[in-house]
Amino acid sequence: MNILVVEDEPKAGNYLLNGLQELGYSVSLARDGIDGLHLALEHDFDVIVLDVMMPKMDGWEVLRRLRKEADTPVLFLTARDDIADRIKGLELGADDYLIKPFSFAELVARLRTLTRRGPTREEEQLQVDDLQIDVLKRRITRAGVKITLTNKEFALLHLFATHQGQVLSRSMIASRVWDMNFDSDTNVVDVAVRRLRLKIDDPFQLKLIHSVRGIGYRFDTQA
Amino acid sequence: MSRLRHSLTLRLALVFALLAFVSLTLLGVALYRDLERELIRRDDAALVNRIDQLRTFLNDSNTLELIRTKPALFQNMLGNREALLTIGAAGQKPLLVVNPGNLALPSLAPVSMDHPLSLADVQHYPGVDGVPFAAAAATIESDDMGSLQVVTGRLMTERTAVLARYRLNVYLFASVAAILLALSGYLLVHRGLLPVRRLARHAHGIGVGNLTERLDGQGSPRELLPMIDALNAMLDRLGKGFVQLGQVSTDMAHELRTPINNLLGETQVALQQNRSVEAYQQLLASNVEELERLARMLDNMLFLARTDPASALSQRQELDAADEMERMADYFEGLAADVGISIDAQGSGVIWAEPMLLRRALANLCANAIKYGAAHSELVIRAIPSAEGIRVVVRNHGQTIPAEHLPRLFERFYRVDESRERSAHSNGLGLSIVATIMQLHNGAYSVSSSEGVTCFELFFPGRRVGE
Repeated sequence: MNILVVEDEPKAGNYLLNGLQELGYSVSLARDGIDGLHLALEHDFDVIVLDVMMPKMDGWEVLRRLRKEADTPVLFLTARDDIADRIKGLELGADDYLIKPFSFAELVARLRTLTRRGPTREEEQLQVDDLQIDVLKRRITRAGVKITLTNKEFALLHLFATHQGQVLSRSMIASRVWDMNFDSDTNVVDVAVRRLRLKIDDPFQLKLIHSVRGIGYRFDTQA
Repeated sequence: MSRLRHSLTLRLALVFALLAFVSLTLLGVALYRDLERELIRRDDAALVNRIDQLRTFLNDSNTLELIRTKPALFQNMLGNREALLTIGAAGQKPLLVVNPGNLALPSLAPVSMDHPLSLADVQHYPGVDGVPFAAAAATIESDDMGSLQVVTGRLMTERTAVLARYRLNVYLFASVAAILLALSGYLLVHRGLLPVRRLARHAHGIGVGNLTERLDGQGSPRELLPMIDALNAMLDRLGKGFVQLGQVSTDMAHELRTPINNLLGETQVALQQNRSVEAYQQLLASNVEELERLARMLDNMLFLARTDPASALSQRQELDAADEMERMADYFEGLAADVGISIDAQGSGVIWAEPMLLRRALANLCANAIKYGAAHSELVIRAIPSAEGIRVVVRNHGQTIPAEHLPRLFERFYRVDESRERSAHSNGLGLSIVATIMQLHNGAYSVSSSEGVTCFELFFPGRRVGE
């Protein structure tokens, strides 16, 4: 995946560059809007991460000019969370946004969604190691043992299984599983994950759910 | 122009002036008309009188003789340049022409001898240079010359002058009166507005430092008292809000100290010497925890600072109450089960609310209810529809909250127990967010606590026609 990051703040630019490169993406970094627009028009990127508040040429202007020539997906970053700002960005043709401060895992998840081409077909059968998930019948077996889950536990497992290898943040899990789109002051997600582990990991040798300290959880056959 | 429009004093003074001028002028015009009519009547009467005299005179042949021989006598008799008199037989050269002003002779049908002259027989002409001219004609039977025609007239120069002077006086008096009234009006209003200026001076002196001071109504006219009372009430509200705002800022700064102190201290200690990768990872993870706490607090503060209810209200939806109750039960199921609390959630009807805000409010209440709930008790969540809207009740068993805390529970950063409740997952804003959400929905919120049962109640007004 080819990503352009347009960010004037040096520290933020650096960590985005490093973080995304470490995940195996090819990343270009522009330190201001003019360079960013230039790069965006010269090269073919899969997705652009665009900071709104920049000197010389702000993100809105970059977006406006970019949209005249290209429809590369754009995710904009803003430190202001008033609705008018968000609406403005989306009206100008942005595809998604994140409000600072945001979790890095959240950004990665959003970028993946933006670059996924075509409609995704829901898999009816999921298999991770010896864990089998029958999505339609809601039946789960691991190493031949039938496991009974509550509705939300199933939703959580399904989310993990369809995002194998990705780090999922707590707020993303809360949003996808319970439709709670705000950072709640509770550790509901941790509790739910622990209860899910109790059923699908604890009785078995190979653990599938891994805590990623400070970020969230990763579902993978590798530790 | 806009200054003129906005000055009450000037406007009133001008209105006074205008009214005085108009009314005095109208009075003057009425009197003028009266005077004019009277003068005309008298002038006409003089003309009629002259003809009557001539009729008498000319019967006497001596007089006719006199006219013929000494016309100057008659000219002198008439006395001025404004008079006109001709006497003569029809179709012949007139016997006498007295016309010092060289006035154009009007052609008049003479009034016959057997007809007494009246004022109506006097004809009026525009005359010269706007000065009116009046004339009358009559037939006179003289003894020796037969039928003679007499035309007499007069140019009304004097009358015009009198009337002009009168007119000028009327305008002059009206103007002077108008100016006097304007001045006195200006002074009166200016004096009348003194209390307002005093209030303004007083209001100028009230600032952040002395918000407790109030405007003094003493010496102010009765009309100003409601305004003074309203302003003082406004100051009360502002003062209260200001104190609260200041308190919130202070509280927030204090709340920020803990996570920042943790970040700073832990990181500085970690940097004191070389450590294992494991230790650094642990430090960074701990930092992330603190930073997330900061981010959450920031998010909450910004949420509370949101003052635009219109956007929330415009995004309301009719939500199925049963679904929402079930969602809460699902969400907190695990957390509650951990401490042995069972959730009993039921509801019916619809909730007219913005979905995210509703869920946030309910989640905050439920999280509290579980945190402070007694082990192995029941958490009850209910949505009870009524005619006006829907009540949502969150009830748990646990320690009774002392009554003195109840009214302040919804304040920002308010905690029943300072020492116990500081944790990464509690920042003392949860209930104030609930309160804000309910205010955004024009709803109501309340709490009661007795005999180990604490009950939070939210009321969402139903959808009204046109919403």
